[in-house]
Amino acid sequence: MERLRAVNALKGSYYAYPLVNALHILAIGTLVGAVLLMDLRILGVVRSVAREPLLHLLREAVALIFPVAVVTGLALFSIRAQEYATNPAFIAKMALLVLAGVNFWAFQRFAGSESDADAYSTAARLSAALSIVLWVSVLVAGRFIGFI
Amino acid sequence: MSIQTSIRRTCLALALLLPASAALAHHGWSWTDDGFFELEGVVAAIYLGNPHATMDVDVEGETWRVELAPPRQTERSGFTEESAAVGDEVKAIGNRSRDETEPRMKAVRIIVHDMTYDIYPNRVPTN
Repeated sequence: MERLRAVNALKGSYYAYPLVNALHILAIGTLVGAVLLMDLRILGVVRSVAREPLLHLLREAVALIFPVAVVTGLALFSIRAQEYATNPAFIAKMALLVLAGVNFWAFQRFAGSESDADAYSTAARLSAALSIVLWVSVLVAGRFIGFI
Repeated sequence: MSIQTSIRRTCLALALLLPASAALAHHGWSWTDDGFFELEGVVAAIYLGNPHATMDVDVEGETWRVELAPPRQTERSGFTEESAAVGDEVKAIGNRSRDETEPRMKAVRIIVHDMTYDIYPNRVPTN
């Protein structure tokens, strides 16, 4: 009941909805930005910074911001759940998120425990390249929800 | 990368992207037909909330999705929760989807119970 009241408030709000929307964008921007930087560093494109400290920092940023993206996303979804659940762009976004999750799990298996000096295996690098494609696709699919 | 290079690249990217995003920036209108369109039917459902209000209108057994404006702008036209109810006769004037098989339109004016609500006053036909 409490949650339903919050959903209704968000549904009719003048300020809360755009603010939650903005927070969702902030979270997604930080998240995708951090993921792309990690992937590029793993692929060896960005070499100006030591790998491990950079990955450590970005991993922490992702861990911090991912829940924000999920919570704000759920809030936005909840006000017209049925509409979004049947929106092709939304369905595509969720499917791509699952694929990105599976890919992340696969990457961890491929990467094992790399030390600073080691280069990543071909499988791990392919997974990092796929991660770039998947996360950009998640972003694009998400943007299309409002235009389909 | 120096700040100057960064600014120069940003300007270049903007110059390249702006023409492409102009179509999307309309948010609601790029998918609609230019000519005015009238729909008459019976209200099947009303949603007055974010991100924008909608109305489902039953026209001889086919359900049309009539898109309105964000809640604040919709209410500014005078259209509120009390303005119409499921089962009411409604006339919607606006632009329909360019896809002729899609029963969807964006209303600039709603007429219900002999009351006229101009959802998008600057887009209402001048006749």
